Amino acid sequence: MVFLRSEEHLHRWLDDRGFEPGATFTAPKLNELARTWWWSRLDPGWRPRSAGESQALLESLDLTGEFWALQ
Amino acid sequence: MDAFDLDVRRHVYFSVVANGRPPTAAETSAALGREEEEIAGAYRRLHDAHALVLFPDTTDVWMANPFCFAPTPHRVTAGGRVWTGTCAWDALGIPGALHCDGVVESECACCGERLELEAFGGELVSGGDVIVHFVVPARRWWDDIGFT
Repeated sequence: MVFLRSEEHLHRWLDDRGFEPGATFTAPKLNELARTWWWSRLDPGWRPRSAGESQALLESLDLTGEFWALQ
Repeated sequence: MDAFDLDVRRHVYFSVVANGRPPTAAETSAALGREEEEIAGAYRRLHDAHALVLFPDTTDVWMANPFCFAPTPHRVTAGGRVWTGTCAWDALGIPGALHCDGVVESECACCGERLELEAFGGELVSGGDVIVHFVVPARRWWDDIGFT
């Protein structure tokens, strides 16, 4: 999961490494995902999320489809 | 994940926040008053459950996500410390986990140009034009977490 300065740099980076394109979104969207995903990580009563709970969290941020399927 | 393993995990994370680094198994053993081998076993189970990541063939903590304890391009200033984020997602996750504002200093994966993003009040107030790319589909994230 990497930061890139532009779409042009993304395409150059993918080509240079021979990677298939995955999922691209904006830094504000990643901030929303990161904040939601990690918010409870330090809670004293933390318990691991089930795969279903994690999937629901992704879906709540409109991260759906085959790429975002956890199982 | 049983109550003992959750206690060990809680101690690891609280130590990370308090000291800026994860405790060794010996340090957790002393803090919790349990045998070091019991703690080492808990560290390994937490690794297997993806609740921690250990360096290969050790009980040394590599990642207590979103915090990372090996060099990466992602440097995060938050909560009075400078942290290392495992990846782009974890870098922005550090202010989220600490419930505070933060600044991520990173680089473009293509050209190495310095990038800075600032999260303030939960919103990204600078670096909004940066883009993020996930190469690995979600179901394969843990196949090689270091690469992911």
